[in-house]
Amino acid sequence: MSLVNFTTREITCKIVYYGPGRSGKTTNLQYIYGRVPEGRRGRMVSLATQSDRTLFFDFLPIDLGSISGFTTRFQLYTVPGQVYYNATRKLVLQGADGVVFVADSQARRYDDNVESLQNLQENLLAQGVDIRQLPLVYQYNKQDLPGDLILNPDELDDALNFRGVRSFGADCLHGQGVFETLKAISELVLQRLAAGSPTA
Amino acid sequence: MRVIEPWVADPLQRFLAESSARLVLLTTSSGQVVAQHGFTRALDVMSAAALGAAIMASTDELGRITASGASRALSHQGPSRGVFLSGFDVPQGRWIGLVVYDHDSSLGLVRLFFDRLVGELTALAPVETPAREVLAADFENELNASLRSLFGR
Repeated sequence: MSLVNFTTREITCKIVYYGPGRSGKTTNLQYIYGRVPEGRRGRMVSLATQSDRTLFFDFLPIDLGSISGFTTRFQLYTVPGQVYYNATRKLVLQGADGVVFVADSQARRYDDNVESLQNLQENLLAQGVDIRQLPLVYQYNKQDLPGDLILNPDELDDALNFRGVRSFGADCLHGQGVFETLKAISELVLQRLAAGSPTA
Repeated sequence: MRVIEPWVADPLQRFLAESSARLVLLTTSSGQVVAQHGFTRALDVMSAAALGAAIMASTDELGRITASGASRALSHQGPSRGVFLSGFDVPQGRWIGLVVYDHDSSLGLVRLFFDRLVGELTALAPVETPAREVLAADFENELNASLRSLFGR
């Protein structure tokens, strides 16, 4: 849940990048980390296995600057995508203000995307959160791969985007769609805050 | 000292003075910093808070699935410094205390005064915090400007 400090006029929000294994969640954060000026971001923490698969989470705090007089900070987290790590996914998801669902556009990963989305819905529900109420955007990564290997964003919208929320085709390795996605989820999270949702 | 909830300031100050710890962080259970006091400039506060919350969350979950119950506190003793982690409940939700101490203090002292800190916080915590309007209507323009400056686009 967003933390709002009325004394020092600061807002801190938590955004979680969710999706199947190897869909590009960590790559999103690495790209953001590499592009954001040093003074506007903290250290990126990655708890990964020896083969660089996310074990617990990646964490990147960024400073969005002043929004309506509030110093606004976002804490970006990724979850481990592999099915095996559901217990840790649940923990990272706790208190999320918004979720970016990073899907792998490859046609052969269709079932993995659907399974991960169902898993997101189940894990949110276990915490009493309705996925239809939470700020959510979709990112369809790996759109740079040859057309015969991938589904296009419209096809992926049909398969995954049941709420009709904003979605973005992306090539996270080269940055396409990364900031657009972050901007969209930031807007949704702050809109929700502005709408008078209870704050901690 | 930086605090989000002003009523935590005095108990936190007393805790650090009495326990002789180096620093103390109070965070929410999802790792957002509620208060920090002590030599926090020597520490990446946000990373420490995120990791502390993760450790507490995973330990509690491990306790649940092994039916051994939630862990009240954890400690890590390094060669020159120690870390003490403990979760506790206030009306605002579950909070976590992360204390770093060195040779000027000890785990026993930290635990003793941390228990007292929790008691004081529980007694002082306001029961309700009213929701307030936070952002002006034009925040989207400011958000766009911030993101443009952040990402150079």
